[in-house]
Formats: sequence, C-alpha cells, structure tokens
Amino acid sequence: MKRASTFLGLILVLALTSTVSSAPAGPGDSGAYRDDGFATAEAGLSPTEIAGAEIWYKATAGSARFTTYTFQQRLGVLIDWYRVLRADQQGERFKAWGLIHDPDCCVPGSAGCPAKSLDETYGFEYCRGDDQLLSHVGKPGYRDPACDFKDPGGRGDKQSPCDLQFGTSTGALGLRKFPNPRFDAAKWQKVNGGRLGTWEGFTKRLSDDPKHPDFKVSHLADASIEPPYLIGMACGVCHIAFDPLHPPKDPANPRWENLKGAVGNQYQRISEVFASGMPRDSPEWQLFAHDRPGTVDTSAMPNDSVHNPGTMNAIINIAQRPTFPNEKVLKWRPVASCPDKSDPDVCWCEPGKPGKCKERKLQVETVHHILKGGEDSIGVREAIQRVYFNIGSCAEPCWLNHLTDARQIDPQQRNFGQTEFEIGQCRRDCPNLRAIEDRLDDVLQFFLSRKPTDLWQARGLEDPRDLVEQLDKELGKGAVDRGRMVFAQNCARCHSSQSEPFDNRDFLAKDEKGNRIDWLGNDKPTLASEVGTYRCRALHSNHMKGHVFGQYGSESYHERAGDSNVADTTGGGRGYYRNISLINVWATAPFMHNNALGPEICGQPAAPAPDFYASSYVEKTADGYRRLPPEQAPKCWPYDPSVEGRYALYKASMEELLNPDQRVPKVTLLDDDIRIEVGLRSIGNHKIKTLKLQIPEGEPAGLLVSLDYKRLVDDLIAAKADPGALKARLVAHDKEHGAADAALLGHLADALPHHLDDGDIYKVGRPEASRLLRLYGNCTADFENGGHPFGGNLPPADKKALIAYLATF
Amino acid sequence: MRIRSFTFSVLAVLVLGVGCKTAPPPIPFSDYKAPYATKPDFARVELDHPLSAADRAKITPENLRALPQEKVDQIYARLTAGPIPDGAYTGDLFFADDGGLERISKVMGGARGFANDLVLDQLRLVVRLLWKGKVFYRDKRELRNMIDDRALVAKLFDVDVNSFRTGQFNGKTVALLFPAKLFCGQSNLDSRRESVIIDYAFGDDVDGYLPKADSVAGRNGLQVRDEIRRVRPGFYLGRAYMGKIFVLNFTLYNEAAAKAGGAAAEDCWNGKDNPESQQVADVH
Repeated sequence: MKRASTFLGLILVLALTSTVSSAPAGPGDSGAYRDDGFATAEAGLSPTEIAGAEIWYKATAGSARFTTYTFQQRLGVLIDWYRVLRADQQGERFKAWGLIHDPDCCVPGSAGCPAKSLDETYGFEYCRGDDQLLSHVGKPGYRDPACDFKDPGGRGDKQSPCDLQFGTSTGALGLRKFPNPRFDAAKWQKVNGGRLGTWEGFTKRLSDDPKHPDFKVSHLADASIEPPYLIGMACGVCHIAFDPLHPPKDPANPRWENLKGAVGNQYQRISEVFASGMPRDSPEWQLFAHDRPGTVDTSAMPNDSVHNPGTMNAIINIAQRPTFPNEKVLKWRPVASCPDKSDPDVCWCEPGKPGKCKERKLQVETVHHILKGGEDSIGVREAIQRVYFNIGSCAEPCWLNHLTDARQIDPQQRNFGQTEFEIGQCRRDCPNLRAIEDRLDDVLQFFLSRKPTDLWQARGLEDPRDLVEQLDKELGKGAVDRGRMVFAQNCARCHSSQSEPFDNRDFLAKDEKGNRIDWLGNDKPTLASEVGTYRCRALHSNHMKGHVFGQYGSESYHERAGDSNVADTTGGGRGYYRNISLINVWATAPFMHNNALGPEICGQPAAPAPDFYASSYVEKTADGYRRLPPEQAPKCWPYDPSVEGRYALYKASMEELLNPDQRVPKVTLLDDDIRIEVGLRSIGNHKIKTLKLQIPEGEPAGLLVSLDYKRLVDDLIAAKADPGALKARLVAHDKEHGAADAALLGHLADALPHHLDDGDIYKVGRPEASRLLRLYGNCTADFENGGHPFGGNLPPADKKALIAYLATF
Repeated sequence: MRIRSFTFSVLAVLVLGVGCKTAPPPIPFSDYKAPYATKPDFARVELDHPLSAADRAKITPENLRALPQEKVDQIYARLTAGPIPDGAYTGDLFFADDGGLERISKVMGGARGFANDLVLDQLRLVVRLLWKGKVFYRDKRELRNMIDDRALVAKLFDVDVNSFRTGQFNGKTVALLFPAKLFCGQSNLDSRRESVIIDYAFGDDVDGYLPKADSVAGRNGLQVRDEIRRVRPGFYLGRAYMGKIFVLNFTLYNEAAAKAGGAAAEDCWNGKDNPESQQVADVH
C-alpha cells in the first residue's frame, strides 16, 4: 500500500512538473522553481539535445550588458524595453513587435498569478524564477539559474555554466531579464511619479512641444538612472516561433505545445525593438527600424554601411545540409599542448585545465556554407558560436572596440572602419564565450534533432498521398506529379542536393531517422547578378579579411572572385547568394532572403500598442520613387500562423515568384523626415547657428544606409584641402569620369558650407544623387522584390503544378 | 582683431611651451602607423605591455602632454576606472598630436590649418585660464566644474554673478558651474571595462542648475560627456566628447588623495567580474 501511494505520489509529482503550468512558481516556492517549459516544446529529445535546447532558449551569454548599457551609451541607440515588454500590453505584444509570449509568465493581478501588482514586478510580467530574481533587484548576490544547468555527461573541464547567464523570462521568449544590483528604488520612484511599477516617467519625452529640442529626449538617455532589470537576449529570441504543425489558437497566448525553438520567427520586428527608444525622425529609426517582419540586419550594429536585412530561417534537417570539401580553413583546433612561450593568439591553454588547449592553424577540410552568402565558412560549431556575438555576447571584452563609429570620419582614427577581432583573445578574456564554446556540441545536437514539418502532417492527414490528392483537387488533376517534373527540369539544378540527372530523383525521400535525404538546395554560391534578387545582402562585408568577423570566413571564402556583372564593389568573399533549401517552403513565405517576395505581412495591433507597418509598394519616378497611395497598393496580410494561413501566404508568394512581371515593386522609403540638429543654440542671450540636416520623407532607406558617407565627407574635405590630389586619385580610379567627379565634389565642397545651418545640405547634393551613388554607394540595388525570374516563362499550368509540388516539400 | 589673435597665440605658446619641454613618460607602447586599421587592439596592447604600478608612477599630468594621441589612448585603455573620486581635483587639458580637436583642425582646415591652429591655441588658453578643475560630490553622484573669473563668465552668459554657486580653491573663490551626473558607464574609446562617466546631458536635474550658463554643456548645447580612468591614487586621465565626438584630453589631480595613496576598491565594472549576476556559488 505504501509503495503504491509512493508510486502514485511520484506520478503526481512528475505530472505536476512536466506538464504545462499556467502559474509560475510564486514567492516562497523557490524549491519548486522549474523554468522548463521549453522541454514540453521540444519533447522527445535526448539529454544532450535537450541541454542544447535549453542553451538555445535561455543562454544570453553576457548579452544583457550589451542591450542595457552598450547599445545606449556607446552606440547611441536607445531601446525602450518597457515599451516592448510592459505587462499591461502583453495581449498586443505579438501583433506589435512579433515577440512570442512565454506561456509560463503571467500579468500581475491576473488570476493565478503570484504577483498581485505591477509594482512587484516593475511593470513587467511575472515569470518562473522571479521569486528569487525580484528579491535581488537593487542588491548583489543573485545566483543565476544557469548555475544549475546540468551538463549531460558531467561538467568535466567545461567553463562554469553560470556564465551561460539564463536570468528569467521577460514574458517574451528569448528576452531574459536580470536583477540590476545598481538599481536605486528612490531614484526610480522620483523619475516615475512615485511608482515602482511603471517606466513611464523614465521613457516619456521631456517636452510635449514638437518645436522644443526636449521633444526628442527622454531619461532613457540618462545613464545615471539604472533600470530595475538588465535585459539580455538568447538566440531563441529570433528563432523560437510557432510550430507549423501545431499552431496556437491565440497567437498572443501560445502554449508550449505550439512552440519550437528553431523554426525562425517570421513575425518578429527586431529592428523596431532595437530602436524602440529613438525618436521617429532620428536616422537610427528611419534608416534601420524598417526591416520586414522576420528579418534582421545583422550588420547594422557593426555598421558596414550595407543595407542587408535577412531572414531568421528555419533550422531543420541539417544532417543533410551540403558540405564543401577542400576548403582552406584557418581556425582554432584542439591540441594537447602548446609550445612554451607560444603567442596566445596562435596557441593557448586554459589555465588550470590541463590539456585544454587550442591552436589556430590552416587545414584543408570539409565545411558547411552558412548565412545567406555562405559567409560563415570555418565550421558549423563556429557558426553557432558567432550567433552569440550577433546577440551581444562578449561585446565589451571582445568585439565592440572593432566596430565602426558612425561619427568617426577621420581615416586615421580608431573605429573609422571595422577591424578584425581575435577569436583567441575573446576566448581568453570572455568566460561567456568559453561557456558556450564548451557546449556547442549540445546546441548542434539540438539542431540535428529538428525534423521537417510537412504540410500533410500539419493538416492532420494520415499519409502524404492524402495531401497529393488534396492538392490535385485544388490545383488540377495530376498537378503534383507534373510539378515534380517541372521542378526537376527547371529548379533542381540549384534546389536539390542530389546530383544530375534529376528526372528520376525522389526529392522527398526520407532516411530512417525521418530526415529528408535531399536538402532541396545545393548551398552552392551563385553570383548575385545571376539570381538577380536584391543584392545588398550578398554585399555584406563583415566577414571580409580585416573586418569584424573576418576570422569566421575561410581562406577559400576570402579568395572568392567578385561579381563583375554588378555595379557595386564585390570580391573578398562578397557577391554571392547560397542556393537555399526549400524544405517546408509551404510554411515559410514570404520568400527570398529579405522576405520581400510575396504579400507584405502586418500585425495590426490595437492602440495604444504601436503599429509599425508602412507600405513599401512604390512606383519609379523620374528622380526616385513614389509610395503608392493606399488604394493602389496591395493590402498587407495580417499575421496568421495557422496551417491554412501559412498555406495561403505560400500560394500568393509563389504566384508572385512565378510571375515576375506582375510584382508591384517594393522599396523601403523613409516614412518621416530625418531631422538632425547639433550644436550650441545660444550663449546667454546670443543665438548661435546650429548644424542642421534634413532628409525628406520618401527617400529610399536602403540607398541611404548603403551610402559610404565617410568616404564622401573625406573627399569633400580633400576637394577643399588638396583638389589636385583628389582629381589625380579619381582619374586614376576612373579615367572616364574622374575629372568630372572631382569637379562635382569641388562644386559641392564650395556650396555645402553655405547650408550647414539651414538644413539644406541634402537638398543641395540630391540632384547629383546618381553620380554620388556611383562613387559612394556600397549597394545601389533598388527593388527589394525583384529578381529570381526563374519559372516566369513557364506555361500557367506548369506554374500551378509547381505550386502544388512545392507544397509537398 | 589680428593683433588680439596674435597676442593670444603668443600667450598660448608661452603657456603651452613649458609643457612641451617635458619628456614623455618612459613606458612601453605597441607599434602603430597612421591608418586606423594599423592601430593595435587594446587587449593585445595590455597583454604585451601591462602597466605596472611602477609604470603608472612614471606618468604625470605634465609628461602626458608630450605624447601623441594614440599613445595617450594606449595608456587610457590600460587603466581601470578606479574609485569614483571625491572632492576637488585640479584640472588641466591638453590636445595631443593627431587626436581630438588638434586632428579635426588639421583634417578640416587643410590649407587653412594655420588659422585653425590659432583658434585652437586661443581655445586652449582661454579654457586653461578659466577652467580650474572639477569638484566631485561622490555621495550624491554629482559634479561641478571650478571656473575662475566669475565676472567674465557672468558677462559671457548674461547672468548675475551672484547667482553662481561658489567654492574656495587654492585660496581663490571660484564659480561652480556646469553640473553633471556622475556614474559608472561605457567608455567611448575602450569597451573592455567601464569608466567613470561625467555626463552633462541631464545637469538640469542637479540642484542649483543655472539654465543660461549650465545648458551650454548639456543635451541641447555642446552635449559634453567626459570619461575618466585612474592613473594612480589622486590622479585621473580624462577624455572629453562633444556629441560623441572626441575633443580633448584632460587630467585631474588631487594632492591629498595622491599622498594618501592606498588601493581603493573599484566602483565600476572592471571587465572581469560580472556584478550583474554576482554568481555567489557554483555548485558543480
């Protein structure tokens, strides 16, 4: 009897701890703390895979300092975390920001929520582990839950798991919070009208008068006021999303069963999150906070002056991802020891850990090509490690000193341009890097466990043939079979990892583990001019030698020839797109690396939550672009992660893909003027002229981002200081245009100083835009949904057939 | 006007010339060339040439002025923030070769560099004559600047001279102007550890703020933000930015604190420990 009751009790405990819980552990329940909802989302994994999943979902690896201090103070970009994460607008957060709600968090005061008021949580949601965390706001001594991370197979000589830095959820998956020991409650209450549970005083503009300079200023810019939390990012912030097989009934309130960690969040507006505290007419907002949902410009922070947002694509079926042999790879590799007095940037042993040594050396080996252009090319583990830099890990000790300072226009000063950071230095100086690096195999195993999510499964069908039947019924008798032939003859050359001939290939075959045999993409680099899609992403320069992530590009990558068919500078690795996988393409529309091909999608949140959608549908004019009026522009499609919502979006996107002549051009335009005014406005009663710059609404954001303005400014200065040398340099570079270019710069150098204080600098230079872009444009591409014309000439029936067949992918 | 400029520049040469004779501090530096990409990574500089206490003892406010900007930067990057200072510190500024306003003058001035040099010399002189240093109110995390010649300053800003807060410094009454907030924060030069930040942006939050005068340094004025790191007790090396653009170096010195010595605790993040999570125990 006793055994039976013990057994029942055990079952009860297991049931309570393993099923989805609606209420996080409350104050005093620290013993019951289990932040393991992710294990429900990723059910059925091995211990190693689930360890990798936990890291992916939770590990910020030190990014909290980056997104709390560095972003704001050094990069000068303000993030309004309260605007993004405030508990009282949780219901609209997904629609506004595309962030996925953590099912284990609750709004204080709601039924069953351990926190009863927003004052208890400083305006945020209450999440698992917050009983401990909240007691350390404003105090030292917080013990990060990551310290309890269990390494499968034991800790061994791995870096302490504390350095994974989990913190607790903010309510948005992948955004994690940490108690700020520097928080001063009295200061906080003073700025927030006596309240602890709001940040409104901290974030509100200091003036309501649009003409007053304080209209653009809030205490977000006052770094002397420490917020209650530091907010960090885990990789999951961009990658956790709705399971295509089990979409939520209410996208604002998913359950763990509706979530998967490596799907890629197609709805997220991370660029708006990053600039959420900036004024609407600031360059940071107008130039960078317009990326399409589900895309992120990972080079915006390193600032390579190339406009290149790219999708957070699904990580599935990677066991079959193509590899490339015979590549020259210079990277760190494990060795038993290092010679005495080794240069630590070449060979280094971790102190106190005998035999844990690495040496940086060149070998010929087989590697994957990762990222849109295959830039990450020294190994899959290193590519995973680099993702942590994208989220801000090790920024201060390792790579921040190597970024471009947007304000530095002197080529002799540090941070004029990027420099390459040393991975070896980072390993020595950043424990967070070591904490991740020592567990990369766990994360990789998690990735390898991610299986395809097929449409037939999503529709609850018993057999793939049932889907074929449905598609044939919808798109024409025999459509799927015919589509297979069309695919083999027209698409497989790039979108199959099998070898030619393709006619009799089974593109959908699976191995015994359920993985597709065919990656449905060969991952080979294709010249951007051949694909024809918006080429700026292919011109991403962060992985070039001497640039910030140069050590993550292989020697073979660096030696790639440029694309001589495009007007912009290529080479050094740049100029290519990888032929991507089409697995589960039914679930990942809109298409292309920038999500620009297909209907625009939008959240349509209810006020007061912000609505960031701005139509990018344009028509070309004599000297630029005009945004189509609402009645002429196609409507945006509201977010719909349901199976049929994804399928409908897929079909519409395929129609656009296969009918290039019917696409309505898209160009992201400024939706407000950029207004910059700097300098002293007065001394005593004496008014002083300030430096003003105004760029009008409607100008293309991409071209402006991609303008190498530093070279332009330097040449304008040279046009005044040494016009002869400038002319000689420009003529040497371009015999045909050099002299005229020098004359143009001379003219501008004479004219612009007269407009420093009237805001018309841009207006003066604008008529010469095409010549200036030829000289200083890093990427001069225009239509964001152009290119990839393949299939455009197919007969209508074949297009339908292809749409039917690809839906089975 | 020309005569006045000439007089100013002669005075400047006289004042600054004394400093130029001082030899640079005999401490090691990493090699570099002019282009930005040749400047060595600070982490590597520190690895190859860590600054010992003996090295720091060789550095003085005077001999720093003999260094080009890159070497001043290499020193700054090898310092830690130290404790947030308290009390009055004598201040002096300097424009190192190839950095800050000095370099901006060269780059922007081009053929007119000589004229810009004159302006710089005058600025140097005026600021050095008027600016005496900084008073740190450590407990309140606030700071004010000590400004001489209150009458001239009052006239410049069109304010009543009696409206100034004042203090005694070296036996003279000085105005305490340009209030700023004091905290640990990001360095704009070296991210690897925090600096003590002196931020004028929200000086209007500080008691006794005089809008007409104090706003000059604030968020709608020159947007001044200073950062300092400690060379040794009582001696800090600072960098001044306007609108996030580096302008000049300065030193702060307090004789009493220097004599007291001691190894006061770091107040700011030193790049090694993680004060945010304060991992109290690693149970594995």
